[in-house]
Amino acid sequence: MGAYRADDDYDYLFKVVLIGDSGVGKSNLLSRFSRNEFSLESKSTIGVEFATRSIHVEDKVVKAQIWDTAGQERYRAITSAYYRGAVGALLVYDVTRHVTFENVERWLKELRDHTDSNIVIMLVGNKADLRHLRAVSTEDAKAFAEKESTFFMETSALESMNVENAFTEVLTQIYRVVSKKALEAGDDPAALPKGQTINVGSKDDVSAVKKVGCCSS
Amino acid sequence: MKALKRSQTSSSSNSPSPSPSSNSSSTATATATSTAASSSSWIHLRSVLFVVASSSPAYCASSDRGHLKSPWSHRKRKHVLSPLRWRSFFAPDGKLRNGGVKFLKKVRSGGVDPSIRAEVWPFLLGVYELDSSKKERDAVRKKNRKEYVMLRRKCCQLLRHNSETFKMKVTGGIGNNGDSGNLMEGMDFPDYEDVSALESPSSGDRSPFVEDSDSHSNLMLDEFSSSKRAMEPNDVSDSESSDSDSSVDHDVNHSFLSIRSMYDTAELHSKVDSSPSETEVQKQPCNAEDFATWQRIIRVDAVRANEEWIAYSTPQAGVVSDGRARCSAEAVGLKDYDHLEPSRIFHAARLVAILEAYALYDPEIGYCQGMSDLLSPIITVMTEDHEAFWCFVGFMRKARHNFRLDEVGIRRQLNIISKIIKHKDSHLYRHLEKLQAEDCFFVYRMVVVLFRRELTFEQTLCLWEVMWADQVAIRAGIGKSAWSRIRQRAPPTDDLLLYAIAASVLQRRKQITEKYSSMDEILRECNNMAGHLDVWKLLDDAHDLVVTLHDKI
Repeated sequence: MGAYRADDDYDYLFKVVLIGDSGVGKSNLLSRFSRNEFSLESKSTIGVEFATRSIHVEDKVVKAQIWDTAGQERYRAITSAYYRGAVGALLVYDVTRHVTFENVERWLKELRDHTDSNIVIMLVGNKADLRHLRAVSTEDAKAFAEKESTFFMETSALESMNVENAFTEVLTQIYRVVSKKALEAGDDPAALPKGQTINVGSKDDVSAVKKVGCCSS
Repeated sequence: MKALKRSQTSSSSNSPSPSPSSNSSSTATATATSTAASSSSWIHLRSVLFVVASSSPAYCASSDRGHLKSPWSHRKRKHVLSPLRWRSFFAPDGKLRNGGVKFLKKVRSGGVDPSIRAEVWPFLLGVYELDSSKKERDAVRKKNRKEYVMLRRKCCQLLRHNSETFKMKVTGGIGNNGDSGNLMEGMDFPDYEDVSALESPSSGDRSPFVEDSDSHSNLMLDEFSSSKRAMEPNDVSDSESSDSDSSVDHDVNHSFLSIRSMYDTAELHSKVDSSPSETEVQKQPCNAEDFATWQRIIRVDAVRANEEWIAYSTPQAGVVSDGRARCSAEAVGLKDYDHLEPSRIFHAARLVAILEAYALYDPEIGYCQGMSDLLSPIITVMTEDHEAFWCFVGFMRKARHNFRLDEVGIRRQLNIISKIIKHKDSHLYRHLEKLQAEDCFFVYRMVVVLFRRELTFEQTLCLWEVMWADQVAIRAGIGKSAWSRIRQRAPPTDDLLLYAIAASVLQRRKQITEKYSSMDEILRECNNMAGHLDVWKLLDDAHDLVVTLHDKI
């Protein structure tokens, strides 16, 4: 991965993908998290876009690079290319449209086909503000998430409900996986040499990057 | 109501500020990134040099993208095709003089005056032949209108069919097929025999015919089968080659395909009804998208089309009564529109009607996100739905390859852009190679929706008009010799858009080679071009590239 700027101060860089059917609110979850913005008129995503934001996890600064992908089946060939190197995923469905929940299984399969087995996945039921239109119960989704061993949260990008929590939880879990990996490798995660790459899994994609020292970029 | 509630909440979106744990925030679409300081000053410098967002001051005010002006833009843009000039091109029999060469030349250098776009576009988009007489065009128009009404009728039948299927499933206890169900839930659907509901809501004169749709379809089938051409699926992919001059044949094939597919689709649906196991089978192929899926995604996209176009719509289209807007929305089964203004509801309903008809007409493509981006400007210009539909069909003749499932069309175009950059600027190309970005995936969006997301509304129309003029010149067989005598040195090309995209990347070569060290950064730069492009400078650069490279690419 290229040298990120020295003035961009972070300890870890995690790549996270946002996936799910068209119109479930992926782009708005991202804009809410990265810019605290929401728009009813956000256009369909063509191909991929990304945004970044840094948060604190324990005493470290974690920079999330979040890739927003097109939801339509047709674009999956290109969007799946962007799964490469992802260490986290938010798999989004719309709580008011059951079909988007039914399709979660397919998305999950695709995710697991294209990414490392250690990837942190969170199932996200968005548009939870539309209580009177709910078509997917929290219990059903929770049960599914448990069965598939993914995290689960209901959000509303519109009301800014749980958006922060969802992303923070995923990033924290990734951090834990990374720290654990580092420990297993006999390293104290706090004492990793600068710029060392941590492989979260067996694939050699450089996905979770411990930041390169300030003078090396 | 869902939509109402959402809009209310959004208007008071004083949502909590980011948590205190966050210490920085940046995005790809805003410039607040790690490079904020350097890039913003660079953008400033760039704007002083050549950035302009809108070529015509009249449109600057209403554009949220472009407020920067370049001293070059007016010098670069030649005069638009004026109404007076346009009328002067026609001989008394209503044919364009000179085979339309002068007309195309004019459009190519300066675009079309907004007041005559609705008249000019059908020529640019191949709805009317360049050498057609007034009488011939009237006949084409009549036939086209009839065919469009038929397609709409079929859409309505399918929509109603899906709704009934859903009801059956619900009563049968199977019912979690929210897909088609949600679409129709609680909707009072108008009878398809009501032609006025099917037709362009803006139609002044109503179509007189009300027939049994089946006999009508048969009639059309007969028409097509009596034409000697056999349907050759390969023919469709062939049309991608740049020397395609068989557009009429393609139309026939398309229509033929479409009629066939209507029956197939209906058959498919009845199969699904009859046996639950069939439903399972149908769900199996991962890539399968059916008409019900398209209907759903079309509606999702229609209500979120932004309002950029409103300032450009004709006065009569701009003012739509609430009742009329709602009526048109109900006619196509649109929901979730309560937060929209009447004119936008109307626009959304027209998008749905035409996109659905297109999905039936061209089932190989169906609907793919991004197509609504291409249709929206056409709807704004063409006030009749059937005319807008056929212009869209003409536009899609080439653009449809952008939306193919196998992505062959996209890859071919990215490959051409890559070649242009390689030939023009080997230094930049080597840099891209180093970053493993020489496949030019970072311009993916520009290719798919033909700069629609990067340019303002007016800029987009200008670029497209120039591009269409090139394409129609090639289709009409107006070769190099005719063009060599005229002032533009660049011969017409089917791939002008690709040269323009390459030009936009080349304009940023310094930034890319000196500052960017990953594909991500180039992607971000490209996604951020919106509002920073001067379409006439872009076209000038593109024409320069065509002059020097068209033989090599």
